[in-house]
Amino acid sequence: VADSESIFSEFAGAAEPPIAPAEPLRLRRVSRVANAVDIILLSPSGGIFVAGWIDDAFDPVVALGLKGEGWSVDLAGDVLARVRRGDLPPLSKHGHAAGYGCFAYAGHALDISGPVTVEVHLASGAGLSAEVQPRPLDDETLREAVLGWLATGDYGGPTSPMLAEVLDRYIGSQLLALNNSIVSGLVRDAYVERFGRAGAALRGSLIVCLYGKAEYLFLQAALYAGRPGMQDYEFVYVVNSPEISDRVLGEARLAALTYGLAITVVILAGNAGFAAANNVAATHARTDRVMFVNPDVFPKAQDWASRHTALLAERPQAETRLFGSTLFYEDGSLMHAGMYIDADRGAVSDGRTARSWRLLRVEHYGKGAPPGDVELNRPRPVTAVTGAFVSADRDWFERLGGFSVDYIFGHYEDADLCLRSLDAGTAVWMQPIPLYHLEGKGSTRLPAHEGGSLFNRWLFTSRWGDRPDLLGREPRHPALA
Amino acid sequence: MKLSLSHRPAAGPVIASAATPALASAPSPHPQGEGPPLKVLLASLFHPELVRGGAQQIAYELFQGLQAEPGIEPTFLAAVDTSFAALYKTGARITGFDGRPGEFLFLARDYDYIWHKTASALLIESYVEFLLTVQPDVVHFHHFLLFGVDIISVTRRVLPQARIIFTFHEFMAICSADGQMVRRNDGSLCSHASPVRCHQCFPERGPDSFFLREAWMKQHLSAADELTVPSPFMIDTFVRWGLDRTRLHHISNGQRNRGEGVVRSSAETGVRFGFFGQMLDNKGVHVILQAVELLRAEGFEDFAVELNGGNMKYASEKRRAEIEAFLAEEAERPLAERRVVYNGPYEVDQIGRRMGRVDWVIVPSIWPEAFGLVISEARMFGRPVIGSRVGAIADRVRHEVDGLLVEPDDPRALADAIRRAATEPELYRRLAAASPPAETRDGMVHQFCQLYRSGPRTI
Repeated sequence: VADSESIFSEFAGAAEPPIAPAEPLRLRRVSRVANAVDIILLSPSGGIFVAGWIDDAFDPVVALGLKGEGWSVDLAGDVLARVRRGDLPPLSKHGHAAGYGCFAYAGHALDISGPVTVEVHLASGAGLSAEVQPRPLDDETLREAVLGWLATGDYGGPTSPMLAEVLDRYIGSQLLALNNSIVSGLVRDAYVERFGRAGAALRGSLIVCLYGKAEYLFLQAALYAGRPGMQDYEFVYVVNSPEISDRVLGEARLAALTYGLAITVVILAGNAGFAAANNVAATHARTDRVMFVNPDVFPKAQDWASRHTALLAERPQAETRLFGSTLFYEDGSLMHAGMYIDADRGAVSDGRTARSWRLLRVEHYGKGAPPGDVELNRPRPVTAVTGAFVSADRDWFERLGGFSVDYIFGHYEDADLCLRSLDAGTAVWMQPIPLYHLEGKGSTRLPAHEGGSLFNRWLFTSRWGDRPDLLGREPRHPALA
Repeated sequence: MKLSLSHRPAAGPVIASAATPALASAPSPHPQGEGPPLKVLLASLFHPELVRGGAQQIAYELFQGLQAEPGIEPTFLAAVDTSFAALYKTGARITGFDGRPGEFLFLARDYDYIWHKTASALLIESYVEFLLTVQPDVVHFHHFLLFGVDIISVTRRVLPQARIIFTFHEFMAICSADGQMVRRNDGSLCSHASPVRCHQCFPERGPDSFFLREAWMKQHLSAADELTVPSPFMIDTFVRWGLDRTRLHHISNGQRNRGEGVVRSSAETGVRFGFFGQMLDNKGVHVILQAVELLRAEGFEDFAVELNGGNMKYASEKRRAEIEAFLAEEAERPLAERRVVYNGPYEVDQIGRRMGRVDWVIVPSIWPEAFGLVISEARMFGRPVIGSRVGAIADRVRHEVDGLLVEPDDPRALADAIRRAATEPELYRRLAAASPPAETRDGMVHQFCQLYRSGPRTI
């Protein structure tokens, strides 16, 4: 029973990318094992993805080598993601995970123009060789392809823990490196335009990250504008979907004209993810109070803004440095009153050995509860709050380094921020300034997003899995008692 | 022109709770007969010369009435869509209309029919410039379609002192199903909207979408000072939806009487029945045709039906095919056996000739009509109405007094009413004699002028 131990190693420093100058590949003898290389995807910055299948149930793969023009990669057999393939005829062993895929990231430019030689080395010493024409992709598309492939794989057991094993062995660190490279590129040259109320005296900045849907800008503008106290606040919209940038800029112009709002629009070159987009937007905020608000979050209380302002003035700094708010579904029931961290456990088997696993997850207190529950609406420190609404002292937010950009797309970076704040000495608080949250309706969820979520859960577990003081509805951590 | 906007007071309107004082007690910014004329901008969905329809007809009747009113200077701004592409001029977003003084076209574009707003900042900036040029004291919207409902908020921001009136001509603010309040999942009349109920009509949109739609609509409607409806029953519907009753006023649609001097029939019975209106699904033409089939099957043929109206192209494919098939079959019958004639569309000025060909007017709508202009038109000519017991028809037609009411979408009930109307001695004479006069344009103009002058915005 692995009650309190993680099977996952710390990803940091794991498995240096084994991309090296090309060396000649040598096979001791040629095998007749059935196999195929389905695809090799390469990106100019050094992303390498290979997928295929091999009937290696009785003579397992021990290494896989790729050799391109001026570079080569040697991957150990146990770092491959092995998946079942329903599209293959019955192979030598029922249920054998004949499919394989692997991702490696060089972190520097590769020549991707020519064919790639693939060599598969088997335990018997035999091997296979094939020459494959790779498909070039940009880094973002490659990231989506890899995440999508990983998320939809049939691992012969529960996806989350089995994929986490795969990530833990090697691929996770490679994806992390690719993602960091993508994000730093996407946020480097943001386009920024400001609308309305130039030079207005402002007290707070509502920062909203838009994915895919532009209409939430005008809906938020209409439903926030005119509320008592809103004249003290500005909107900063950061756009992770450049294809909607024209529409967003047009709507911002209209909203400034219609409602007299101060609006800043920050357009990124692509989807940098929730964390990086919000971090960049925060740098363009014109106030010392930053509020990260999902596009599908709307005021419930008429005096929402003035209550927020009053809270900052009246409550101790420890209660307002970083806080979330009670959120409600459109049907009136409670959606969010803080989050706690719990762990799922179980066992997986590859047919030879059974292994225990453990993954963290975040849970909401009282999700779906009647709106008036006194305990859930009580101001209090909590383990974490949802990123759908976070109000932060800007200086504190910057001292924490903002949201961690290691998380892909979104999920878990909110809890990660709260836990880092806790470790730095300030617990996140819940404050009852009610808002509606039409959860999950503010963005278009693509297949690769599921892969991103699974990656993020693995990463979050890697970082916080050894902290029993944070676990449970009533964590033992003294600041949360 | 450089746009320069006044800034609204910080405390904005509260959804569905903005109260205004009673009309009679408020001071008038422009007392009749004193000072400069009261400038009234009427914003209409379509121009009635371009597209027939009750809302635009009433807006234009009001415009014509205000032109004759001392101390009032009206302007008419009609929204059109790109189906009138020839009227769109390069680079222009608001233009004149056919050389008529005081009449303009709002050349709508980039319209979002889900949220009812334009995505064109240029169009709204042109509208702002238009407002700043015309400087109306009153802006009276007769619809938000093609303008966008947010144009009310734009108007409030540009002209913070202007009185803004909004007239509902159906329930589009409440109902995504073309404002008809007829449920798309089962065809039944809708008693009230809710996020889940609306989702049932539009399964591809979640309840949250309708929750937001309601908040969006109410937010912009809150920028209007007064809301008016042409029928009392609509007030209850909007109050149930959450609007403040004190802001809702009933002002009947009025029209210039086109039946003046017409001598009312004193015949005992009438066997000629007429339908007047748009040939759309919810107007219920198909119910008449089904009733005719029932009567024929029973061997009763001592009656005739004339259909008058256009816009059949906007009917659903199913209904259009049904009507066209019926009319084609009718045309194949020997002349003496034909019971239904389709006369096609008509202009308002042709109404007298068309009414002269019938004794009864059938109003078989299957949705809660907001007013039922055809009832007024029937009354101008002393024609009693056989109507559906729904919406304004049920409000206006007194069963067995000045007309007959039948259940909506019930061809059996309509067939029985037609048979009775055509055969029962004295019924026609009695109901026709009791038919009240139609609501007049002068009356409508007078009431709206009172509303325009009833006081400054106080929200």
